[in-house]
Amino acid sequence: MQRNPITEILVCGFIALICLVFFINAWSLPPGTFEPLGSGPVPLATAAIVIICCLVIMIGQARALIRNGQVERQFRMEFMTRSPYGPLITLGLTVVYVAALDLNVASFGVITCVFLTILIAALENFKLKSLLPAFLVAVVVSFGVEYMFTNVFVVDLPA
Amino acid sequence: MDLAALSTAILQILTPWSFFMLFIGTLLGIVVGAIPGLTGAMLIALTLPLTFYMEPFNAVVLLISMYVGAISGGLITATLMRMPGTPASVMTTFDGYPMARSGRPGRALGLGITASFVGGLIAWGVLLTVTKPLSILATRFGPFEYFTLIMMAMVLIASVSEGSMVKGLISGLLGMLVSMPGVDPASGMPRLTFDWYLLNGGLQLLPVLIGTFAVSQIIADTLDVQNKPERAEVANDSVLMSFSDLKKNAVNMIRSSFIGTGIGILPGIGASIGSVAAYTTAKNVSKSPEKFGTGSEEGIIASEAANNATVGGALIPLIAMGIPGSVIDAILIGALTIHSIQPGPTLFLTNNDIVWAMIATCLLANILMFFFMTSSVRYIASMIYLPRSFVLPVVAVFCVVGSYALNNTMFDVWVMLLFGVIGFMLERAKIPLGPFVIGFVLAPLAEEKLRSGLMMTAGDISPVVTRPFPLFFTITAVILLIWPFWTEHKRKRAGKTD
Repeated sequence: MQRNPITEILVCGFIALICLVFFINAWSLPPGTFEPLGSGPVPLATAAIVIICCLVIMIGQARALIRNGQVERQFRMEFMTRSPYGPLITLGLTVVYVAALDLNVASFGVITCVFLTILIAALENFKLKSLLPAFLVAVVVSFGVEYMFTNVFVVDLPA
Repeated sequence: MDLAALSTAILQILTPWSFFMLFIGTLLGIVVGAIPGLTGAMLIALTLPLTFYMEPFNAVVLLISMYVGAISGGLITATLMRMPGTPASVMTTFDGYPMARSGRPGRALGLGITASFVGGLIAWGVLLTVTKPLSILATRFGPFEYFTLIMMAMVLIASVSEGSMVKGLISGLLGMLVSMPGVDPASGMPRLTFDWYLLNGGLQLLPVLIGTFAVSQIIADTLDVQNKPERAEVANDSVLMSFSDLKKNAVNMIRSSFIGTGIGILPGIGASIGSVAAYTTAKNVSKSPEKFGTGSEEGIIASEAANNATVGGALIPLIAMGIPGSVIDAILIGALTIHSIQPGPTLFLTNNDIVWAMIATCLLANILMFFFMTSSVRYIASMIYLPRSFVLPVVAVFCVVGSYALNNTMFDVWVMLLFGVIGFMLERAKIPLGPFVIGFVLAPLAEEKLRSGLMMTAGDISPVVTRPFPLFFTITAVILLIWPFWTEHKRKRAGKTD
């Protein structure tokens, strides 16, 4: 299996940080009044074990990286071999889409139609021949979903 | 075994509206299972909001039939594109694709479809006979029995996780931790909410699920959205297996089905491991193990019989004990809870019709799956070549709608996005997502049982080792926890001696 030691170190560090925040917050919880355990010990213990496990992974991977002595090459292999264009554009546009829905910029159908047209076209690298199909799919899906959810399933939609 | 209840459930499913749910569920399951990048867990999580206003009976029929269909659909992509449509079909790619490339795609699909059907039927037989006795046994379980069983399940999930056990533990425990913010059920006081009122209700299962499984997958898939996968075309040869083929492969099929069912019953493991175990066993006992990986019939049969058998197997702990047998079962637990149905040993008493709906759907969806796959695999196969740059954005819209529909709040949509990013990061670091979701689902139950147990014994934890079942579960958990480290230690020592 292909390993990503630098990614593993970074992700485990991030998880350990989240758990540390939980640990500190759980530490300040008052002890139980009517029951022996109280609400603090379970999250405390859970966060502590996750932090320890993350440290095990981080130390193990860091040692392996130092032993191999090819940190720069490994960094290039993990982060520079594949373009992050797809994930970044997808995530970025989705965040904008959700924010637009949250702020009620327009109706669900309109916001969704714009979002789908741009995202599909972007994933197709804005090739001219993909623009019309992207727009058609966007129109059918966005207004189709809006109609189906509000009239058939009677489920509320954002915006 | 209550055959009257079973036949009533079957007759009820055969009424027009319920049958429509069965039909559409199985078909959608197969199609989504076949499309690379879309999984059964994703489909079921996204469909869940549509079931809010359905009768629980029909909701269960729809979701279970999707489960059966999705596990089966993965076979098509594994055979024609060397890409597992679902993780459960990984082993099928090793032999299905070489056989399809050698000009026998119909044969490869036929073997897989029949093996899936037989695996599903055998597991259904076990589901039918074992579930009720197990649920009767589980009614004797007290809080400590439950708590230790859940802990054993968590260790078990971690120990079979891809990569390392430590990563499995991180994933499972992180899932448990993020389920804890909200109002503490025992004291009624908010905890881990960081004085943010939106967190008082805790993080809901559905946005977390959709984020972890669907959004993270969408982000990951866009990494190579332009890549054109290898493919083999479906020819016009028959996909039905002959009687002599069935006779020749019966032992392998039955053995693999039982392996899949057995592994499915183990809490939290699921179809991928079942498929790997059956494939490895088939290879070890085969007279021609050298053919495995080059288009072996035995390989396809072992993998497909086992992965479909895990569906029935995994439903057993869900119905009998409220413990998910796989990730999809964890979602099903969430679905039942949303419909005010509490899975567990009392389910037979409180919602007998729902239990039998699940069991009956498992059988009928298998039959329907066999019918769909044998009659229209060629048409279903054409859908797997839909461009992902069009499919993924549409799925993203459904993710937003699905997360919002739970409580009509945009907070859930932001939670979904956040967990999408977290899920993507975990995947990049090779930390498995399955234990995360199962930990998220099981943590409230585990904590509740531990705390009520301690209240019963005035803070005495000793029943964990003094009562027979908790002792058994604890010892098993400790062995499972130590085993990988012990074998690693032995391997290193052997390496040093050499």
